[in-house]
Amino acid sequence: MTTATARLIEKASVTLAASLLGATMFLPLAARAQDTPKSGSSQISTVSNHDRWLHVRVTNPSRNEETVRVNVPLELAEKVLPTINKDRLHSGRVKFDDIDCHGVDLRALVDAVRTSRDGEFVTVQSRDSDVRVAKRNGTLLVHVFEKNHPRRSEVEVKVPMKVVDALFSGEKDELDLVAGLRALSSQGDTELVSVKDQENTVRVWLDSKNITD
Amino acid sequence: MLLAKLALGFCGTVFVAGAYTFHEGVMRVDEDNSDGRHVHVWVPAAIVPMAMHVVPSRHFEHAVAQVGPWLPTLRALAKELKRYPEAQLIDVEDGRQHVRIRTHQGKLLIDVSEPGEDVHVACPLAMIEDVASELEAKSPAV
Repeated sequence: MTTATARLIEKASVTLAASLLGATMFLPLAARAQDTPKSGSSQISTVSNHDRWLHVRVTNPSRNEETVRVNVPLELAEKVLPTINKDRLHSGRVKFDDIDCHGVDLRALVDAVRTSRDGEFVTVQSRDSDVRVAKRNGTLLVHVFEKNHPRRSEVEVKVPMKVVDALFSGEKDELDLVAGLRALSSQGDTELVSVKDQENTVRVWLDSKNITD
Repeated sequence: MLLAKLALGFCGTVFVAGAYTFHEGVMRVDEDNSDGRHVHVWVPAAIVPMAMHVVPSRHFEHAVAQVGPWLPTLRALAKELKRYPEAQLIDVEDGRQHVRIRTHQGKLLIDVSEPGEDVHVACPLAMIEDVASELEAKSPAV
């Protein structure tokens, strides 16, 4: 082998080694750059069309001191919840056999509500509070209005019946939270809980945005 | 010529080692106090699980006992959070304190601000998953 050929092979080897080195260094960066969203894009983004986010917001409108914002992807909650085994919560299910239901058979109550037509089931009007439980368009509605004690407050809960069914789809004495979350993820944008009193406002709702408005 | 080859080999090794060490990013803890005290800790994320792997299990007994029941949760959380690289998860603000937990570019960021003290923690999600897996492997139940 001539000296010139040996030098050529040597140069080619060095070039190849340098190229491999460069590729090793820059490929992960390039891959990360592809993963990273453009800085100019809005922060309010939907991760995918199927991602549903559960939002909780607690505000203090009168004094504007405290604000709590929690945003949880439903799919994440579905995957993480079954890994928590603490107290009554096991494998994404909550046992309620020991909970005092004042002798009420919750499952029978849910069955009765499910099979009945839309309408108002409970209406209580008293000097201190009004309570209303109704079913409308496949949604269970609970409305509580405290007039005076301990302070004026209004609570509204809207739970799709599909979610209620999923919650009670497990064993007799348990609530299947994961099934409930799964049922919730198939719902459209919806307001679930709203609490308003003189000091605080609490909202729990579901949509496709990954941050609160 | 031999020296040049040795130098190239050495530099190549250093570059490859450096690239591997930093390919998972850096875990950062920054603490700034108004009294002038500042603490900044930067650790390559790939090193942490690697170091845990070689440290004898007995040194982790206490930690494993403490966090053991939560390791599957931690691992599932880190794994799932990787699907949400840009998300504001928790934001709590009162008159004096502000706590934010979010993901940004594949890292979990925890920012705590209060009068006189700011703490910022940035931890690659891949590292959290690896650490949870290492701790699970060292758990006696496994």
